[in-house]
Formats: sequence, structure tokens, C-alpha cells
Amino acid sequence: MKHLIYGLLIFMVMALPPVSNLLESIMIVHMHMQMPILVVSGFIMGRFFQIYFPVFFNKWNENGFPGILLFCIIMLYWMLPRTMDEALTVQSVQIFKFISLPFLAGIPLRDSWGKLSSNAKNIIIAVFTFVFIVMGIIYIFSPEQICNNYLIVEQITLGWGFITMAICMMIYLAYKTSINPEEYE
Amino acid sequence: MGTTLKQSWKEKADQALGASPEDATLSKTYLFVSFITLLIGGVLGLIQGLNRAGILELPSWLNYYQVLTAHGILLILVFTALFTIGYFYAVLSHNLGGLLPKARKMAWIGFGLKVIGLIFVIVPIIMNEASVMFTFYPPLAAHPVFYFGLVLLVVGVWMCAFGAFIQVANWRKKNKGQHVPILSYFATGVFVLLFFSSIPVAIEVFMIIPWAIGWVETINVMLSRTLFWAFGHTLVNIWYLTAVSAWYVVVPKIIGGRRFSDTLTRVVIILLVILNIPGGFHHQIIDPGIAESVKFLHVFMSLAIGFPSLMTAYAMFAVFEKTARKKGGKGLFRWFNKLPWGDVRFLAPMVAMIAFIPGGAGGIAQSTNQLNQVAHNTLWVVGHFHLTLGTTAALTFFGISYWLVPYLSKRVLTPAINRLGVIQTIFWSAGMIFMAGAMHWVGLLGSPRRTSYTTYFDNATALSWDPYLIFLAVGGTLLMIGVLIQVYAVIHLMFFAPKGETEFPIAEEEDNASKTPYWTERWGMIIVIMLLVIAMGYVIPLVEMIVNAPPGSPPFRPW
Ligand code: HEM
Ligand SMILES: [Cu+2]
Repeated sequence: MKHLIYGLLIFMVMALPPVSNLLESIMIVHMHMQMPILVVSGFIMGRFFQIYFPVFFNKWNENGFPGILLFCIIMLYWMLPRTMDEALTVQSVQIFKFISLPFLAGIPLRDSWGKLSSNAKNIIIAVFTFVFIVMGIIYIFSPEQICNNYLIVEQITLGWGFITMAICMMIYLAYKTSINPEEYE
Repeated sequence: MGTTLKQSWKEKADQALGASPEDATLSKTYLFVSFITLLIGGVLGLIQGLNRAGILELPSWLNYYQVLTAHGILLILVFTALFTIGYFYAVLSHNLGGLLPKARKMAWIGFGLKVIGLIFVIVPIIMNEASVMFTFYPPLAAHPVFYFGLVLLVVGVWMCAFGAFIQVANWRKKNKGQHVPILSYFATGVFVLLFFSSIPVAIEVFMIIPWAIGWVETINVMLSRTLFWAFGHTLVNIWYLTAVSAWYVVVPKIIGGRRFSDTLTRVVIILLVILNIPGGFHHQIIDPGIAESVKFLHVFMSLAIGFPSLMTAYAMFAVFEKTARKKGGKGLFRWFNKLPWGDVRFLAPMVAMIAFIPGGAGGIAQSTNQLNQVAHNTLWVVGHFHLTLGTTAALTFFGISYWLVPYLSKRVLTPAINRLGVIQTIFWSAGMIFMAGAMHWVGLLGSPRRTSYTTYFDNATALSWDPYLIFLAVGGTLLMIGVLIQVYAVIHLMFFAPKGETEFPIAEEEDNASKTPYWTERWGMIIVIMLLVIAMGYVIPLVEMIVNAPPGSPPFRPW
């Protein structure tokens, strides 16, 4: 129960109009802070659903792959510049954002991550690293404004946000592959 | 089989008999040079203090800003760095069964690089070619040799950091599944921070060098300042973390108690490592070119570091009270009497902790935009860091020296030197109350920092500062006496005190301590999270500064 309460609390704070307005006013904060926090709120709530609906998750997400696939699709969808624009201008898309990120990305991630083998996890991280590099390059070098609602300098900032996150993930992968925990533990 | 047996026998012997001679020589060399630096830096500080009070006029061949640059660099960079490295290499040697020959060699190479670097830095300052102060950011431009010296200093520090990493990794391979001993864990955190925080300053110096030589005409001032403070801010927090290591582990042993929860201690270290670097922005609250919303977000990043500090304060007083009550201390405050106030190894770090109460409170005040407008670039700031760095860190280092130096030199702390240490602590406290107190006060009245004595054509406001500046000079004189006593004590303990065995004081955990979770050993994860936090702090302002950069500045030499 406490998982549900904590998750919902974060979710509701994020949904407060002043909070969402502040976070959405800066492009990189919109994509790299607000959206991940929404996913995290779902991730926290996920435990509650796992406990109360175990049958559902066992039936539909037995090995973790359907869940992680859903997570990836939702994440990729929200990385498109077009969708961010629409979230700001079309009310129904904004609502979809607040529903899809916690409930269609956060919860499946919670249920799937534990079920995946460590190789599968590393592959998922590698895929996201690659996508982040590509998105970073697009956002940094695009000569035009890709989003109606954000200036070019914000776009470049977001691009560097992608690149730095990709670097962190690469360091993590390098650490995972080069260091054998068995030598230490 | 034979070698492992010999190895473990050697480890036991080391632990019983103190550091191996080679390891002891290494640490003693670092500490010796460190305290010589303190002596020189202290003399320069006194010169400044007397000059600012209008008591001492500098000769024509020496100007105030040369003295200030040397004082800042010698004390904030060299004294502290050499002490920290000497101390933590002694820790690694003691905790981890002696230094690996490779690690020891790297620390020696690091020492050589730092000494050469220091010469490169100091000579231009003496020749009046580098009065750029310890912050050395553009548009002030020094002689290129000064920056080469900085590069050597940084590479020297990297050598020591990697030597420590190799030492710790090697130990963990040999002791699978065990936690690194707590002081070595502190050492790991300190060297991780030293390494990562010196990357931005290395980038800055490589931007400056072509500009100082004249190959490029202009430089991005905001960018260099930001890169500098990512380093400068973290650096002082590293010295703080070094002091904290002694508070958590050594002080409880000296008062005859147990140390605070191992897990929480490690969490404090992890938090200080993860949260530290973006705090640099609180040095730039007045800088133009950073959006207000970004500055606002950074207030949180700055104050976040306050959290582990408050945890530390709580932990320390919990340990003190518990120990004192065990010894029969009673009452709300009377248990204080049960603490060994006459033992310099306790007194000095204790005063250091007490100084951190006003020091930390002043720091939180300064982080506020409106209050920063009042205090920025006044003597208030100088008062603040003489409390935090010059007292909290420095006095803890002094306290450490009274057992570390005899431990390394296989001598003992005699009652006479202990008494001298107590007197030293009293001089230092009194000196800082006068000097830092006067600096805080006169800063609020508007007296600027980094300014030699002037009455601004006998302006009434400037003249009203004079009485406080006299207090500053009095405090500085007391501090100078303190420096002399301290350096004498170190030299005596290193070369002349009676021979004997001194223990390396490490407090035990409580008997019913809960087990520390193993994730605290996953430094790879900790470092990745730290880098993410750095990205969160820096991507927005840096892109803004680079993409919307103003024309850039040519070099200036106002002196
Ligand atoms: C004998 C003891 C000391 C005296 C008399 C002293 C005095 C002073 C004075 C008068 C200033 C310059 C104020 C100004 O014009 O802005 C100063 C600056 C400074 N002091 Fe000290 N100080 C002493 C010890 C220390 C210690 C132990 C440390 C650090 C471990 C330290 C670090 C600094 C730094 C970093 C600066 C700033 C330099 C700058 O603004 O560029 N001082 N000190
Ligand atoms: Cu700072």
C-alpha cells in the first residue's frame, strides 16, 4: 500500500499546474526531468500492482519481454520532438503523457527489470545508449527549430543532455563488462 | 603457499609494529613539506593582515597581490593537498597491509611532479608575473609558466589518486566480499573526488595556456570561471571530508568510545561524493550570464551538501554523549566534563568541529541570493573560509599530526608536547576569533576582500573600518604564533621526540552494529550517479555560456 501512496504522491505533485508549467518551460527539464520522474512514480507504484495483481503480471509478462517492449515503445514515442510540442498544445496529448509514462512505462519497467537476465539488461541499456547518441546528434546539429515551443539553444542543450547521459551509460556498460564482480565479492 | 603465509605474517607485523620504513618515509616527506608550506603561508598571511590594518607598508619590490596569490595557493592548495595525501597514504599502508611497491612509486612520482609544479607556480609569482590569485581565472593573465606549473600539480595529484585506486582494488581482490576498512573507504572517496574535480580545472588551464601565450586572442570568461569553481568548490569540500574522516574514526577512539554506525558513515561519504561538484555554482551567485531559474535550481544543489554535514554533526554529538555517559557523565550538559579536554588529539578536532557551527551557518546564509549580494567579495567571505578551511580543516589536520607524526617516526607524544599542542589550539582559536570575527564584521560594513590597505582618499566609511582591521591584525599575530608552535611540534615529533611505539587510533564499531550492505562498495555505480548529477548541474548553463557567448576577453594585467 505504501508504494501506491508514495508513487501517487509524486504523480500528483508533478500534475500540479504550477509544477508542470515550471518544468515544461525548459525543454531539457521537460524531457529529462519531468518525464523520467513520471516514470519513476509508476515504477514505485508498480510494486503495489505486483502484489495485488500477481496473476495478471504472470500471465502477460511472464519473462519480462512484453513489459520491457511496452516500456521502450512509450519511451521512444516521447523522445520525438513532435510529441513534446503536442503535449504543450493539445490537452488530450498532455493527459496521455501523464497516463502513459507512469502506467504504461513505469509499471511494466518495475515488473520486467527483475525478470530480465543481466545480458538482456545490458542490451536494453546499450540500445538506449545508441538511441541517445542519435537523438543527441539530431538535436545538437539540426539547423532549424524542431519544436515550435522551444528555442534552438534549448534544443542544443537537450542534445547535450542526451550525449552526457549516453556517456554515463557507456561508462556503466564498460564498468559492467570490464570488471568481474566475482574477483571482488 | 609460502608467499601467502609470509604475506599475512608481514601484514600482522606491520599492524603491530607500525608502518614499514618505506611507507613511513613517504608520508613523513609529504607531511614535512606540508607543514613547511604552512610556515611560509602563515608568514605571508601575517604580512597581509598587518598591511591591511595599515600597520605595515610593503617594500617596493613586493606588492600585496603577490603575497595574496602565494598565501592562497600555498595554503588552500599545497598545504592541504600534501597533508591529505600524506595522511591517506599512511592510512592505506596501515589498513591494507602495507603499500604496494607500485602505489608507493606512483605517490613518489606524484610528489616529484608536485614539487616541480610548485616551483613553476611560485617563481612567476615572485617575479611579479603572476599576481592572479589562487583562483587564477581570466581575464587576469599570468606568465604561461605559471599554468604549466598548475598542470604538473594536477598530474601529480592524479598519480597519487591512481596509486590509491590500485592499492584498494588489489586489497579487495585479495579480501573478496569484505568491506574496505573505513578510513581507506574515506581515502577512496577523497581520491575519486580529487580526480573528477580536477578534470574541469585541467580543461580550463588548457583553454588558458594558448591565450596566455598569445596564440588565441580572446577567452570565454564565464566558461573559465564555471570550470574553475567546479574544482575550487569541490577542493575545499575534499579537505573537509578529510577532516571528517578523523572525526568519525579517530576521535571516538581517543575519547575511549566506539564509532558511529558504519553504514551511515559510508552513506555520508557517498552523498558527499555524489552531490559535491555542482555546488560550485554558489560561488557564482553574482555572476551575470546564468539565468535566474538556473541559479534557483542550484540553491538546492548547494544546500544538499548541507544534509550530510548535519548528519555528521548529529553523529559526532551522539558519540560524545554516549561515551561520556558511559564514563559516568550526567546531566543535560555536564557530561561534557568527562571528555578529555586536556588531550590535544581530542581538543584540536573538537574546536575544529565547534568552528564549523558558525562556519556552516555562515555558508548557508551566503548561499541565499539576497544575502550573497551583501557579502560577496567582502572580507566576510575571507572570514568565512578562515573558519571553515583555516579552522575546521586546518585544526583537525593539526590534531591528527600529534599522533600521526609520532606513529610514522616511531616516537611518542610526550606530555610536554601535548601541553604545547593545547596551547597551540588556544592560540589558534583566539586568533581566529579575532581575525575571522573582525573579517566577518567589517565585511558586512562593506570592506572589500583582495584589496591592499587604502583609505579611499580618507573617505569616512573606509576610515570607519580601521578599528576592525586592527583586530584582524591582532588575530593574525596570534595565529602566527600558533603556526610557529605547530611547525615546531611537528618537527620535534618527527625528529627529536623520544623513541617508542605510537598507536594508529581507529575506533571499533558498536558490538551490536548492524551489517553494512554490500552496495556501498560498488564504486562504479556511485561514480556513474555522480556523473549524472554533474550533467544535471552543468549541461544547461555550459551550453548557454558557449552557444550565446559574448565576444570574449583579451588578457589583462592590472598589476
Ligand atoms: C597565520 C595565519 C593566517 C593569517 C594571518 C591569514 C591572513 C589572511 C589575510 C589577511 C587574507 C587576505 C584578505 C584579502 O585581502 O582578501 C587571507 C586570505 C586567504 N587565506 Fe589566510 N591567513 C592565515 C591562515 C590561512 C590558512 C591556514 C588558510 C587555509 C588553509 C588560509 C587561506 C586563505 C585563502 C584561500 C585566502 C584567499 C586568497 C585570495 O583571496 O585570493 N589562510 N588570509
Ligand atoms: Cu563552495
